[in-house]
Amino acid sequence: MSVISLLRRGALALAAGLAAGLLASTAAFAQSGPLVTTEWLEKNLSDPKVRIVEVSVEPGVYERGHIPGAQNVVWHTDLVETVSRDIASPEKFQALARKLGVDKDTTVVLYGDSNNWFAAWGAWVFDIYGLRDNVKLLDGGRKKWELEKRPVATNPVAVKASAFTVAEPNRKLRARLTDVVATVEKKSDARILDIRSPDEFSGKIIAPAGFQELALRAGHIPGSVNVAWARAVNQADGTIKPVEELKKLYAEAGIDGSKPVITTCRIGERSSHTWFILSRVLGYQVANYDGSWTEYGNVVGLPISNPAGTVWTGK
Amino acid sequence: MSISDDGGALDYEQARRQAGAAGHSPPLCLVLSACVVAAIALAIYLVGRHAEPATQLQLSLILGVAFGFVLQRSRFCFFCIWKDWLDRRDPQGLLGIVAALAVGLVGYTLIYGAWLPDPSGTRLPPTAHIGPVGPALLLAGLAFGAGMAISGSCISAHLYRLGEGSPTSPFALIGAVGGFILGFLSWNPLYLGTISESPVLWLPRQLGYGGALLAGLFVLGGLAWWLLRAGRPAPATAAQHAATDPLAAIFLRRWPAWLGGLFVGLIGIAAYLRLSPLGVTAEIGSRSRQLAAHFELLPSRLEGLDSFRGCATAIRDALLTPNGLFIAGIVASAFAAALAAGEFKPKRPDGGHVLRGLIGGALLGWGTVIGLGCTVGTLLSGISAGAVSGWVFGIGLLVGTTLTLKLGRRLRLLA
Repeated sequence: MSVISLLRRGALALAAGLAAGLLASTAAFAQSGPLVTTEWLEKNLSDPKVRIVEVSVEPGVYERGHIPGAQNVVWHTDLVETVSRDIASPEKFQALARKLGVDKDTTVVLYGDSNNWFAAWGAWVFDIYGLRDNVKLLDGGRKKWELEKRPVATNPVAVKASAFTVAEPNRKLRARLTDVVATVEKKSDARILDIRSPDEFSGKIIAPAGFQELALRAGHIPGSVNVAWARAVNQADGTIKPVEELKKLYAEAGIDGSKPVITTCRIGERSSHTWFILSRVLGYQVANYDGSWTEYGNVVGLPISNPAGTVWTGK
Repeated sequence: MSISDDGGALDYEQARRQAGAAGHSPPLCLVLSACVVAAIALAIYLVGRHAEPATQLQLSLILGVAFGFVLQRSRFCFFCIWKDWLDRRDPQGLLGIVAALAVGLVGYTLIYGAWLPDPSGTRLPPTAHIGPVGPALLLAGLAFGAGMAISGSCISAHLYRLGEGSPTSPFALIGAVGGFILGFLSWNPLYLGTISESPVLWLPRQLGYGGALLAGLFVLGGLAWWLLRAGRPAPATAAQHAATDPLAAIFLRRWPAWLGGLFVGLIGIAAYLRLSPLGVTAEIGSRSRQLAAHFELLPSRLEGLDSFRGCATAIRDALLTPNGLFIAGIVASAFAAALAAGEFKPKRPDGGHVLRGLIGGALLGWGTVIGLGCTVGTLLSGISAGAVSGWVFGIGLLVGTTLTLKLGRRLRLLA
């Protein structure tokens, strides 16, 4: 063996060692931060202190193959009240969390389809009821897990129920119509961040194609700024962009964490995604407005901003 | 006018006699069949490589190919089977359907236990074809049954008979597109008048999984017992006694109906586990809706239609859809199987074929929209799923077929 090849081998070994070290440190970082990587999750599947919860919107997705050990939460029945338009009541949430075996000392990893929209909604509801730092989102969600061809399972898992006690709902995380109106009337210094597509924001369209839940008017809340949710995401695998890029992206729209933020969209599900990024990843003070455009856009007597000039679907 | 037009494909007795003489399909047909098989294999490979989402689309195509092969080899045609019983009290085909339902019921229950451990709540197992039960469903079954009697088969059988060169099937499928559009046009009044108030009944919710399974198997077992007692099995042909060459038994001779039923049940379970319940009309329905929407024939909203379980007709943008590939697989593999068995007998359609196909097809299409599926999607996948809707649709179907056939014969319009 020549000296050169020996040297090359040594260099390779060194590089491999460095890479392994780097990976190990990202895994550790992943666990302490609000996001976990697919790699970290696969390594920790059998950790009894980790509870994995899938919140997908497409029926049958969980059942036909989920991350091994994951439990299923149905967004539109488990996390909301089905009659009053509201998030799950404290009692309902407590029962759900107990059934999932979730408590303040368990690490909860949420993930789902549709770019984690509904998983992020889940994280927001968990946060409102006192489960914050131990609740994490799987970066890239179901999409990345599938892209990387990681294992899935179809069998159910039995978990031991917890004795979780629900906390008083944290009002600061949820914006109501009055909070939004106060901002419009400049009685509050919060900034409203609308994360819908530019066409929805400008009033060219009322809702994205295929969505039935509409408002009568098109446009946006006066004074709000627009950063479409998808701009915070790497399109290839659905992962959230690096912190510095995120800070820059939102700062360009005037959202820099110096003032409280209200995130809004059509029904509050896509905006939970941005809420998660601003609140949990960047640490800003953010409230999600789940009434969103289907509430604000329909209220009698409130001003809207409509650059496209559409009047109820007509011109 | 007669509908026994397809060289025995419709007539079990005739087919059985022909099967005795099977074993020498022309070499050209074998070569052609091999080419079709190669093309199917290439399509499966290409879909797996290039389509998105590859796994679902590829598996849909594979299951369609398997389903088409089984349907063609065992002549799993609901109407022919029922006609065998009416005309000759031959129970074989019906026993095949009973076998398919029993296998499906067991498999679905097995899957349910994992997916929804407690059936007593308000939730239904995801995507299972459990539809609303009411007068509209019965009406849909009657219309579908009439369509079967007039056009000579149901939609799934028309698909495999397309691969056998049937002169009626192309027109029946065109007629079905028209029927779909008529169905969409009459949907809103029927929905507001009755369907919206019809309960969605799922047997395991009331009886538990064990109870629903036992009740289902008890009914199916009772049916099988009665069929065997009341039926007059056709005399065994020489072919059935002849020493069996395994290749001939698979590729040349017709399979016994119970074997076909067994495989149909298993394919249904596989489809539900991995993709969605078996159904053959989602793609045709969706394309018909697209067509009608394009010509602005549809009401601006089809109230509640897309919120029901069953063969969904929501318009999809994609060129390749799971259900589209599934039915393409049925037609292609039925074609290959028919070629190999010497059962590909194309015939020039005459006016009767066209007329019966179009009228019968329209009734099939209308019944499919209102019944949220056909013999496969509502009857087979529904009964397997423990849905009351599957049974009610089935009853409507039998009554509709029988009455239409008897009336048609009296008027000398149907044979």
